[in-house]
Amino acid sequence: MPKNSQGRDIAEIIPDKCIACQLCVAECPVSAIQMVGGVAKIDPELCIGCGRCFDVCPVNAVIFEKPRQKRAAAGQAPPPGDYQGVAVFIEVRDGRGAEVSWELVGKAREIAGKLKTKVLGFLPGSGVSSIAEEAIAYGCDTVYTVDDARLESFLPKTYGHALVQLCNMAKPEILLLGATGLGRDLASVVATRLETGLTADCTGLDVDPENRWLLMTRPTFGGNIMATILCRQRRPQMSTVRPRVMKLPLKDPARRGEIQRVEWEAVEGDLPKIIEFLPRAAAGIDITGAPVLVVVGKGACDVKNLPMLEELAGLLQGTIACSRAVVETGLLPYERQVGQTGKTVAPKIYIGVGVSGAVQHLAGMQGSERIIAINTDRHAPLVQIADYAIIGDYTEIVPEMIKGIKARIKQASKK
Amino acid sequence: MHIVCCIKQVPDTAQVKIDPETNTLIRSGVESICNPYDLVAVETAVQLTEKHGGKVTVITMGPPQAEAALRDCLALGASEAILLSDRAFAGADTLATGFTLSQTINKIAAAEPVDLVICGKQAIDGDTGQTGPGLATRLGYSQFTYVSEIIKVDLKNRTIRVRREVEGGREIIEGKLPALLTAELDLATPRYATLPELVRALRHPIKTWGAKDITDTPEKLGLKGSPTSVKEIFTPGARAGGLVFDTAAADGRTTADFINTLFEKESVLLDGLLDQG
Repeated sequence: MPKNSQGRDIAEIIPDKCIACQLCVAECPVSAIQMVGGVAKIDPELCIGCGRCFDVCPVNAVIFEKPRQKRAAAGQAPPPGDYQGVAVFIEVRDGRGAEVSWELVGKAREIAGKLKTKVLGFLPGSGVSSIAEEAIAYGCDTVYTVDDARLESFLPKTYGHALVQLCNMAKPEILLLGATGLGRDLASVVATRLETGLTADCTGLDVDPENRWLLMTRPTFGGNIMATILCRQRRPQMSTVRPRVMKLPLKDPARRGEIQRVEWEAVEGDLPKIIEFLPRAAAGIDITGAPVLVVVGKGACDVKNLPMLEELAGLLQGTIACSRAVVETGLLPYERQVGQTGKTVAPKIYIGVGVSGAVQHLAGMQGSERIIAINTDRHAPLVQIADYAIIGDYTEIVPEMIKGIKARIKQASKK
Repeated sequence: MHIVCCIKQVPDTAQVKIDPETNTLIRSGVESICNPYDLVAVETAVQLTEKHGGKVTVITMGPPQAEAALRDCLALGASEAILLSDRAFAGADTLATGFTLSQTINKIAAAEPVDLVICGKQAIDGDTGQTGPGLATRLGYSQFTYVSEIIKVDLKNRTIRVRREVEGGREIIEGKLPALLTAELDLATPRYATLPELVRALRHPIKTWGAKDITDTPEKLGLKGSPTSVKEIFTPGARAGGLVFDTAAADGRTTADFINTLFEKESVLLDGLLDQG
């Protein structure tokens, strides 16, 4: 065990294990721990060897060898007991329930089963009664609608107000929202107003039925570490989940449920006004919705060969996306960028052409169902994780793929 | 006009490497940078003050080393920088962070009214995008996230009109000042700092505020004010590599053969996608 110059036993931090959560910094009674270069560092001369950093570290990055057990976290009050049920915010898009909301209703059913409680649908909007019926068919037991013409378009303030109202009334122990732009904004507004915990972009949800804790797992550090987060004491426990992470449940039109109409307590004061909406067709494209992406990397960044890649994408009902390096050359616009500073995508098939696969790029596409890599470098990171990798010149490989697909289409149309 | 930018120092993920043996992150020696979206926020703010007059104040919450990120912003043209550094702030989740920043901005605004707060749309280390909307809610400001263009600022009528990137399209929206915006990457391109700007940034004094400077309710700060906690951390199972075909390896198979094998194996997935029209 390391000692300082005064001969005192001290704690030490393994930098590669540290995730910079700063819990030890907050816990240290003598301010001996500081963040240096993104990791916690203990000043050996200040350390008194109390071991509290060892106790709080969630990743066992602290070496502390005094013979003692990890202490449990300080005594905490139990969560309020009168919160019941798993609620899902039902997002309306183009007059219909957003698919991500139904995916979450499916997940909520599973969680509610383990907790032996109900699934609630929270549905603010204008003219939403048919969507409420649909919510029941997908698995809600009770749908609370706040149907008001002033909720026709989304504003964080008005929708936030409606959701806070529903939470105060129905008191759900869990509230799930889709991690769409709208859902993320709304979740944050509601969590702030209710002063409760919110975990963004979860890829896994489970429950600890004994404590009724929602176990929220999310990627962090660009998808290289997974963290499971708890909200122990406050309710509702809130989480957002990205589209297409959870499975879409089957719709059962025979399912029975209850619809409760709630009058909206309108918001006072000046509200922002939406002047104009430019749909994506006119505004550009949304690569996150495409079932197939042909992703152009630095190794295929050539305007001459773009039509060939577009043809490949088109044959599979897909579209073209790219890596950051390609955006920087100006070949393709930013809205087509996959990765940490671009879009997170999870297509059915991802075809990387000349994409090496830097960590930040991988972070934005690791959820893809199938990954195909075409690259000259056998050791490129994307090749390492791909389901199929073809090593060679893409200008020869891509035409072969196009030929193969056309043959399949011909075959299929004959049948 | 007075604009406050909230920035964050983050590890430079471009430098993060994965240890191929253990499949864990190699984090030592990774430099810290100013979150790229936040630099866009600061550039936007500086451009607005160049047009309308006024000043830009940048704030960040972090350890003393986060000062470096503030200096990057001063070099871009920010006028003032405040570092929120206190052990009481450590371990904050987004709720506590929103509280800390809102208390700070309220204090700044009490001395010099704030017209606009600009944040990056998210930080590249956490990717949550929650801090901006939470902060706007606490401040009671108009909230515009994912902003890709500022169309008009009307200081006389106290309004702002912006273009936002939303699901399925773009939205032109107008609201009252004070407002909080979160910046998309294409809102502005951060300029290269000139040598005199860099020198000014290095010499410029940075104020450091602690818990006592901003709030009487320290229980809402840092670890104490954070309802969420990390239960465990694990490394995701790496995607195992799959079939590899090397066109240069002359083993008798052709590229077309391999592609056909691929198509056969994935026929279910593929046939659902074929464009037969």
